Amino acid sequence: MTIRLTVNGTAHEIPDSRGTDTLLDFLHDDLNLTGTKFCCGIGVCRACTVQVSEPLNPVPTPTISCSTALATLNGTEVSTIESVARDGQPDPVQQAFLDAFAFQCGYCAPGFVMAARMFLMGLRAQPVPEDQLESAMMDAMGTHICRCTGYVRYFDALRSLATSINAGEAIEL
Amino acid sequence: MPVRSDFEHQRLSRRSFLKTAAGTVAVTILGLPGGGGQRAMAAGAGSSPLGPVPGVAAQRVEGLAKVTGQKIFARDHNARDMEGWPDKQWHAMYLRARTTQEAFLGIDLTVMPPEAQPTKQILADDLDPRLFDVPLAFNRDLHVDARLIEREAAETGADKSSFNQPDGLQFDLLVMPGYTANYLGQAVALLLFDSLSAYRAAHRFLAFDDGRVQRYGAGKGPEGTPAPNTPFNYPTHYVKSGDFSYAAAKTSEVYDAGLADAEAEIAAALAEPGLLQQPISIDMRAMDPMFMEPEAGLVWVDMQAKEMNVVLGTQSPDGDVQNIASMFKSDGSPIRDLQGVTLTSCYPGGGFGGRDSSPFSLMLALAGAFADGNPVRLAYDRFEQFRVGLKRHATKAEGTLYANPDMTLEAIDLSMVFDGGGRRNLSPYVASLGALCAGGSYSFPMANIRAEAEHTENISGGSQRGFGGPQAYFAIETAMDDLAVAQGWDPVAFRRANLIEEGGQTVVGGPIEQSLRLSDMMDIAEGHPLWADRAGIKAAYENAAGHENRRYGTGIAMSLQAYGTSGDGMVAAVKLARDGTLTVQSDAVDMGNGSATTLGVTIGPILGANATTVDMGGYTLFPQTQMSDVRSDVDLWTVDPMWTKKGTGSSSACLTGLHQVHTVQQTAMALLRGSLLVAAAEVWGLDGLEPEDAVWVDGMLVPLGGGEPLPLRLLAEMVYDLGLPTGALGHAYFQNTWVEAEFDTRGGALRLQLDGLAYYTEDGDTPTPIARQNGSYPAPGTARYSRYVWAPCINVVGASVDTTTGDVRVENVLSVLNAGYIHVPQMVSGQSQGGVAMAISYALLEDMPPGMAGPADGTWNLNRYHVARATDVPLGGVYAPGARAQELITLDPPPGTGRVGRGIAEAVMCSVPPAISNALRDATGVRFGSLPITPEKVLEGLKT
Repeated sequence: MTIRLTVNGTAHEIPDSRGTDTLLDFLHDDLNLTGTKFCCGIGVCRACTVQVSEPLNPVPTPTISCSTALATLNGTEVSTIESVARDGQPDPVQQAFLDAFAFQCGYCAPGFVMAARMFLMGLRAQPVPEDQLESAMMDAMGTHICRCTGYVRYFDALRSLATSINAGEAIEL
Repeated sequence: MPVRSDFEHQRLSRRSFLKTAAGTVAVTILGLPGGGGQRAMAAGAGSSPLGPVPGVAAQRVEGLAKVTGQKIFARDHNARDMEGWPDKQWHAMYLRARTTQEAFLGIDLTVMPPEAQPTKQILADDLDPRLFDVPLAFNRDLHVDARLIEREAAETGADKSSFNQPDGLQFDLLVMPGYTANYLGQAVALLLFDSLSAYRAAHRFLAFDDGRVQRYGAGKGPEGTPAPNTPFNYPTHYVKSGDFSYAAAKTSEVYDAGLADAEAEIAAALAEPGLLQQPISIDMRAMDPMFMEPEAGLVWVDMQAKEMNVVLGTQSPDGDVQNIASMFKSDGSPIRDLQGVTLTSCYPGGGFGGRDSSPFSLMLALAGAFADGNPVRLAYDRFEQFRVGLKRHATKAEGTLYANPDMTLEAIDLSMVFDGGGRRNLSPYVASLGALCAGGSYSFPMANIRAEAEHTENISGGSQRGFGGPQAYFAIETAMDDLAVAQGWDPVAFRRANLIEEGGQTVVGGPIEQSLRLSDMMDIAEGHPLWADRAGIKAAYENAAGHENRRYGTGIAMSLQAYGTSGDGMVAAVKLARDGTLTVQSDAVDMGNGSATTLGVTIGPILGANATTVDMGGYTLFPQTQMSDVRSDVDLWTVDPMWTKKGTGSSSACLTGLHQVHTVQQTAMALLRGSLLVAAAEVWGLDGLEPEDAVWVDGMLVPLGGGEPLPLRLLAEMVYDLGLPTGALGHAYFQNTWVEAEFDTRGGALRLQLDGLAYYTEDGDTPTPIARQNGSYPAPGTARYSRYVWAPCINVVGASVDTTTGDVRVENVLSVLNAGYIHVPQMVSGQSQGGVAMAISYALLEDMPPGMAGPADGTWNLNRYHVARATDVPLGGVYAPGARAQELITLDPPPGTGRVGRGIAEAVMCSVPPAISNALRDATGVRFGSLPITPEKVLEGLKT
């Protein structure tokens, strides 16, 4: 048996014997993709969040790579922070975080970016009533831990983008 | 990625030499391959990532690298990422002591499966004992160091000029078999693995119970530490009465001789009838900094070159490298004839003090020394980080606040005991500053404050955001509130009656020589609706639907957090490329606090453009000045024009606003006046040019007397063509005042607030120093003031509590802050917001028992150690009734005070915890004086 998955568009085949290895270790050790961060290692802080799409469920799902075994990812498409910027230029979420001075040490930033992107994609597909936007943001991002910033600037930047997308503005993600 | 020749050039250009007890070692600092790490570079050639407006930051200078996940943290790196390193990498793991009740006898790895066996195992008896006895550089806080030196010399006759750290605790890296561990979590063995799979297998096998391979039994007691619960050298004791104080005494000997009489005088005065007394009794748990990146690093000993190469993210690169060099250059070193140490300095993934003088660097270096010339990776996981990482001290404080019936304070008598844990580290310094902070923002005629850091079996305490301040302000600000409530005084009026201001004295006896504007700040806080309308807010909240079980209260607290130490040296370089782009280099480290960004824009108004590149963590800059910071009993300012009292120190976030910015500004001014204006005068046919004769407009220097504007790029070419200096290297020293001196330059004699200056030229990376002349220097006695500059803050907190569950929620926070000139507004508010979140977390959530009931058992992580999340923090920016917000109001600096900021990274968080406790007292009538204020404590308190 072989585990087949793609990471940032590149196909990988992994021996089944490595099925209990975590996705994060695979990204770091095999692919040298270290933009996804290790922090708690038990799936609480969400610094290691990546995007995973499954064949039967193409809606991207925020996935905690430190606690996800490779065996569970057969047939999936994984996207990491390294896939977000285009030609070295930040995407709208990254630019919003930059403009808002949203992060400080920046170690949690890739996880916030990935989760925010998926939240905004979902919002674009299915807008929510304006009075529910704040709680929707909190549901999507409220469990991410940032030790430096106090969250205010992350949520300010996210609120601005979410409000625009919720109102139907075309923002390419 | 730089080509090899560039790489080698960079290596050589950043090389300097360090004298250790055993000989000279070359030390080198490198940016990471590809321009990551502590080197922040332009997104496009010739443009600054900071944006085009001089003095204004459009974004963080290193922001793009961070938000796109580039390799900038130490943890991101493996040997394969390092230019010139072998690809093959080993992995290191330390086993940790699980008891201090029995002796460690050894390890037995036979129970581990074959695939988990290490390549090598190292115990303490594999090391040369001389490795443990290396004299260290020691310059954390000059007035405390002086006290240590004086007393050490008096007690032991030790040579004052080569002070060895007391207590023998610096190099206790491994517990000697047969002896009892000094503390829980102390390393007992080093395991080295030549494959990742073996390391992983061992990690899985030993997870949560590395005791299964350790043997304990009868043996000898711990060696090299004080007895449990005795203080690390030396406790702080500040007594102030009349003309007697620590600051007023010329030496510690004089001070010690007068202590008993002064204490007796205070006791007699406080025995007089009529004084009001408020008992103080508070305590708090230890706190983990919980920076997001667990400590990690790489080390490779190049056996041919006899060089140790280290990749690390640290707040104290200079101290770490000095200690590594001293240790591995010593006679007991396992590396024979070490010639050099090269540090690749990475951006730390958070710091908060937890990476300041962390033992991690020495543990990493030790692993490298036994890896047979292979690169080694040491990467703590979160369990291990909780288990051994430096903590904010658990603390207890007991004492009494004395006041007169007219609301004026008379005295504070306080004893603070900090749990220093196993290692001495910076604990005595923390206790010392805590003692100063215990005086709060108030003027006391008398004070008797004792603060000590005890040795215990617990995880070591160290430098943490606030450095003793959070504990001390909690003690005094809750006591102030209790006394006000007991006497029926308005808590604001009581504080107003006692505010310390310019011209006053701290409890150390040092004068306040800086405008604090506490009264102005109190006006703002008192007039803000969160305080002024607190009765109405309480009524509205408690009557709202769904709040049947919740009570609401409002609390106020102040802090007067000092920034800097008793003497600070900083160094910076500003360099001009031929294409007109500018580079700033600093010894400071950016832990996320924004130092790199701030230093990059602070040159903008002086040189017409922001920096294109900012290099941080440059601990080799000071040696480039060719200055001496040899320790001396007397200041050598006038004896040696190349002497300074302190070269550089550890980086703390609060050193940026004033100290580091000043150094960069003065160095930029030296480049402007000693080079750029000389070139401009040449072009404009003038005999000379002063800064006030021209202005920068849109990147061009415009003469006010008329003439052709000169773009910076053109000026840069002129500088190079005329052979003028292409860069300046400045060193500054602050001890109550800046050292100021004249320097002969191509632009004439310049008077600068620097004590050292050197100029770079086009064809040399070694700058040419200029001896200072006609200097003005700090009075020697000012070091005993302890601190000189202050960042006052008042916090008003509105908090609610569920009386059935004990749940506490911070509804609103108002922070009134005197930050001086604000260089980057987003950074200041970001620091404030981060401080509020960390303080809420500290006050309500972060609960860490001592001993093996806590993280020392190796099973603690974020599933049981809770830190604040977004829902715990008010996210709004401006107070509005019925909503949650944290509002920051900063004072406008008075006109004419220039671009002088204050270090505020610690200021806001220090007074939030007491404001929360005061709010809960207002809500419930109960004082919660034990942090964290957990639901269990709330429910227990409500029963009484």
